[in-house]
Amino acid sequence: MRCARCVPLMVSAPHGSSARPRDADLGVGAAWAEAPYPVLVVDRHGGLVRINEAARALLPDVADGDRLHEKVPSWLSQAHRRLGDGPRDACAGPLSGSINDRLFEAHPTSGADGDVVWWLVDETDRRLAETALSDAQVRSEVLAKVSSALLSTLNVPRCTEVAASMAAEHLAEAAVLVAPPQGRRHPLTHARRGGPVTRTVRQVDVASVPGLNEALQGFPPVPARWINPDDIPGWVVPDGFAGPVGSVIVAPLPGHGVPAGALILLRSSTEQAFTEGEEVFARLFAARAGAALSAAGLYSEQAAITETLMRELLPPSLHSVHGVEYAGGYRASKNQERVGGDFYDVHPGSDPSQETLVVLGDVAGKGLDAAVLTGKIRNTLHALLPLAEDHERVLGLLNGALLTSHHARFATLVLASVRRRGGRVQVRLTSAGHLPPLIVRTDGTVEEVATRGTLVGALPTVTANTVRTTLAPGETCLLYTDGITEARGGPLGDELFGEHRLRRALAECAGMPAEAVVERVQMLAAEWLGPGRHDDMAAVAVSAPRNGPLTVVDGRAHGRDSRRKT
Amino acid sequence: MTGLPPTEFVLVARHEPPALTVRVAGELDYDTSEDLVGAVVEHLSEAAQIHDVHLDFSGLTWIDSTGLSALLTVHRHVGAAGATLHLDNRPGVLERMLHMTNVLDHLTAPAAGGQARRFGEDDGTAGAGATS
Repeated sequence: MRCARCVPLMVSAPHGSSARPRDADLGVGAAWAEAPYPVLVVDRHGGLVRINEAARALLPDVADGDRLHEKVPSWLSQAHRRLGDGPRDACAGPLSGSINDRLFEAHPTSGADGDVVWWLVDETDRRLAETALSDAQVRSEVLAKVSSALLSTLNVPRCTEVAASMAAEHLAEAAVLVAPPQGRRHPLTHARRGGPVTRTVRQVDVASVPGLNEALQGFPPVPARWINPDDIPGWVVPDGFAGPVGSVIVAPLPGHGVPAGALILLRSSTEQAFTEGEEVFARLFAARAGAALSAAGLYSEQAAITETLMRELLPPSLHSVHGVEYAGGYRASKNQERVGGDFYDVHPGSDPSQETLVVLGDVAGKGLDAAVLTGKIRNTLHALLPLAEDHERVLGLLNGALLTSHHARFATLVLASVRRRGGRVQVRLTSAGHLPPLIVRTDGTVEEVATRGTLVGALPTVTANTVRTTLAPGETCLLYTDGITEARGGPLGDELFGEHRLRRALAECAGMPAEAVVERVQMLAAEWLGPGRHDDMAAVAVSAPRNGPLTVVDGRAHGRDSRRKT
Repeated sequence: MTGLPPTEFVLVARHEPPALTVRVAGELDYDTSEDLVGAVVEHLSEAAQIHDVHLDFSGLTWIDSTGLSALLTVHRHVGAAGATLHLDNRPGVLERMLHMTNVLDHLTAPAAGGQARRFGEDDGTAGAGATS
């Protein structure tokens, strides 16, 4: 033998006999007889010359002098024949095959007189370990894939579909995901390997599937071998499932505190039954799917609650009322949230002779918490409309309604009662701890309205003074929240937009319609911010409309109906 | 364009019976307000016989509405403990906010006769005797 790969080192250094001299025949002869590997010495014609103890244990009915091809599997006898025939290309790779249910590699070495010594190495356990390892690798890959697929969506139906289809693809021939009941009916998601995923909501008897009721309550799973496949009712088996059900796993989907449902895995009777390892894997899979479904469920619930609340809390769209222009703009502190702590409302007077009440305010805090309090304030003020003659009284009553012992969350707001008299607009303004309103006169001067009062919701009593003023045609009164003046950004990134920039911007807005003023202010504040974080920003403009045709202000054309941003 | 790092928010409490002084430096806003309330409440509950709580604002650089809300909460706790709140070394930004919202007198009103009223029993009016 010239091929090094085919010659085990043990030929000349046998186990337990290394002290012996390396005398060819004698040494080797004694060594192979004691070798822990089955060894067959075969002559060039296929006759068994001798076999050792280990080989005798493997092939009990073999005796010296038997023909090789009568006693050993054909893969070995044919290999021997090829070896005798000539070219030594048998060295291309190790020979292997099974003998009596065990897997062997056969290595030939040349013995005396042209005999071939066959060394058989038992590879069974190594192969099993290799298979187990690669199975484990595949499973962790599947789990990783499952996790990323499931966590990429927070949509419950989508998450359910992904879980069912992945279970059918990687764990079984078909999978059914049974969600917790909605009323009396259970949402069911059926998936078949290579088939479509179908979702139905049905009234089914969960007790008819062994272990399903327990799984839906979050109890530990029933071992697969306890489940009789014949007990599985028809509603579990998806359309197009091949043949009768052979084996079943019912695994609970553990959620956050409450079970997220149960997963039923099916294999037809023609396939191999689920092994214990597969059952463990199915439970791991179910744990991940359950966590993802549960997270999606919680998110959907929250989103639904937020949606319901937001519908009530969104600021209204404003327009002209009784000959006065109103415009409002709002930007919540987080871009993904449409509501926050700022609010505004316009409550039109019952007829043009009655005052219209404008409210703009700011609740300390951000997000949904703040939004809920703005809802309370808006509702209370709505109820107090008949008393709007006396702003201070309205604020006192509102304050009483908001006081609680639980927190010191307060609100600041401005009330404006507006009525048109001839071409002019009369305004009564009251601040309750809020930034004073600004008035833009036709000549471009910007005045601060000197109203001041106590914030509402924190102190036992409040005081406030009301200021009366008049807007000539083209003049605007701006109510705004501190989110605008406290917008941080600018060239240095951390500078406040500030009241002086707001005043300067407003001075350029002289004569503009209300909507243009609000848009201009919002645009400048947004530009100032850049991508930085910010508080809620709200602004409401009340304008006395210009009468007559388009006029030119500051080199640009504006008219009362102009909707163009400048 | 990178923003300047905001001033670090620092609270330093010094207890010299019967007074507690808390130095507030940096920005008192949405992110830091709870720390102030927590610090004052902790000291009030640990130390007996505090008659005066001084908040020293000499290092304050910014306060927003949540910060003001925190001051109102602190005031409730201080009043409930029968002590008087003092707002010392007020910078312009705090002064403007207290003026605009008209709460300075309320926040610094002397404690109501030293008798500790239980916090939360009377609709947020704890220790607010001077304004009613």
